[in-house]
Amino acid sequence: MKKLLLATAATLLATAASAQDKTLTISVYSFAQDEFKELVYDPFEAICGCTLVIETGNSVERMAKIEANAANPVIDMAVISSHDALAAARKGLLQSVDITKLSNYDKLYDLARDPIGDHMGIGYTFYATSIVYRSDKVTVTSWADLLGPELAGNVALPDVTTNQGPPTLYMLGKAMGDTDPSLSAPIEQVAEHADDIVTFYVRSSQLAQLMQQEEIWAAPIGRFAWGQFKDNGFPMAWATPTEGQTGGLNVMVMTAGNGNEELALQFMDFWLSTPIQTALAEALVDSPANSEVVVSDEIADNLTYGAETAASLDLIPADVILDQRDGWLEQWNAKVIQ
Amino acid sequence: MFENRAIGLALTLPAALFAAALFLLPVGILLSEAFRAGDQWSVQAYFDFFAQPLNQRVFWRTLKLAGLVAIVSAIVGYAAAFCIVSLPPTSRGRMFGLVTLPLMISPVARTYAWLVILGRTGFVNAILVDLGILDSPMRILFTETAVFIGLLQLFMPLMIISLVSAMENMPRDAISAARILGANWFQVFTRVILPLTREGLVVGGTLVFTGAMTAYITPAILGGSKVLMLETLLYQRVTVANDFVAASVIAMILIVMAFSANILLKQIATARRTRA
Repeated sequence: MKKLLLATAATLLATAASAQDKTLTISVYSFAQDEFKELVYDPFEAICGCTLVIETGNSVERMAKIEANAANPVIDMAVISSHDALAAARKGLLQSVDITKLSNYDKLYDLARDPIGDHMGIGYTFYATSIVYRSDKVTVTSWADLLGPELAGNVALPDVTTNQGPPTLYMLGKAMGDTDPSLSAPIEQVAEHADDIVTFYVRSSQLAQLMQQEEIWAAPIGRFAWGQFKDNGFPMAWATPTEGQTGGLNVMVMTAGNGNEELALQFMDFWLSTPIQTALAEALVDSPANSEVVVSDEIADNLTYGAETAASLDLIPADVILDQRDGWLEQWNAKVIQ
Repeated sequence: MFENRAIGLALTLPAALFAAALFLLPVGILLSEAFRAGDQWSVQAYFDFFAQPLNQRVFWRTLKLAGLVAIVSAIVGYAAAFCIVSLPPTSRGRMFGLVTLPLMISPVARTYAWLVILGRTGFVNAILVDLGILDSPMRILFTETAVFIGLLQLFMPLMIISLVSAMENMPRDAISAARILGANWFQVFTRVILPLTREGLVVGGTLVFTGAMTAYITPAILGGSKVLMLETLLYQRVTVANDFVAASVIAMILIVMAFSANILLKQIATARRTRA
């Protein structure tokens, strides 16, 4: 009897230990978690026989948690913006992703394969940023039109603190013929026209209401927000400016010394696979970084899709964002904010 | 209440320890960031904060808007409170309910309603254009005016409630007696009503000023980043720059301003009592 109890206890302990090993803690963005659970988390848990622990929050909170637990990582892998990933890599919080373990790596677009160097981050989605506008009020053919007389008093720009802010300023600078990374010239221009700008938005969800109330006729947004405008009852158009489109890239990263690398790589590879990337695209959650994803024209219209689009985006390099953003914020607060 | 004082103190000890451990200590640690420079105690963070023109502008704007909201709330609040206490009991209850009804609605919902009312195609502009006062809609949103209107609507009920409570405790004959003795309405207000309701004014003024000063949702939605106030600046420093030192400085400034407002109002009330 005593031996039976000991054997049972030992089995239970072993099972508990085994289950504990098969846990993967991931840090992700808060949006569309219902869709991610249905399309990514539950299917992966069924395949790996493991448990996914999901942590969400804004990027600052998630980065702070990774840093606070650097000596003994709680989070195994995370999805963050490319510049946040570079910041984490510079602090020694990440480890290089073993791409030999990613069977879907070669299917990725070039811009997603090694965006921050040393394979510290692998791109899993990207988006284009351009200008959405009321086509019955104005025609936008250049980023410079944002500060032009036709849109004066009828335009919103992204705050410099948002992901869309610096890319918008960069493209304004490009339209002015000045692509200096300090963004001094476009910030100066925005400051001169500050009274003509209705607001500097901090969330794209603000724009939907402003457009609906006809407070604004145009604003730069990411393609992921296009769906909020195309069916709002007004004739809306997506600009293809002469200077091109900009955008952003989100990456998967692995925390240094987490001890769960095998499972984390398995999950990354699963997320990058064609079926999962296709499912996420068709659900209009994320634009695919996997070049083999094929979706209908109707779906593609709401995404940043295709090799041609991927190659055409003029993205600000992550290291430039990191090195310059304090200066951007300082200039913005000094010159633009009243 | 307790014959043995020690028993009374012992009974309050668990609550006091709870408050100290789970509130005072964490808040103290957070706010101590504002008094450190590296490993040393220093107030350099405050000098650095006020050295920046943007921070100066935000500070004065916050003080100005909170003060204006408190003053206008008091003026309108006294009129509203006087009308309410003059009504028969049944009507008074209904009117009081109407005043407090907005407090039961989420501040977010109320603020978003102002987005519609004050918008270019909203009620205010529609009336002004239809009456011929304006040729075309004017921009009200994302200005200090919009923030002022939103804060006033948000916090004025607190002033009215405080003043109604104070007025209900006024001797019923005081106003009649003053009028019989020849006081005009201005004298009745300044020499009878105001002194007798000073406590209500102090409570209401503190609540309104502190609330307006520390409001986040209304300035964020109606003012945006073009009309920064201390709370929205604090949010920016934490979420964008990860600058908890600046955030602690702002939090400490807000605490000091709240206490200062309360002390100032009490001093005014006490001065009136002394003169009387």
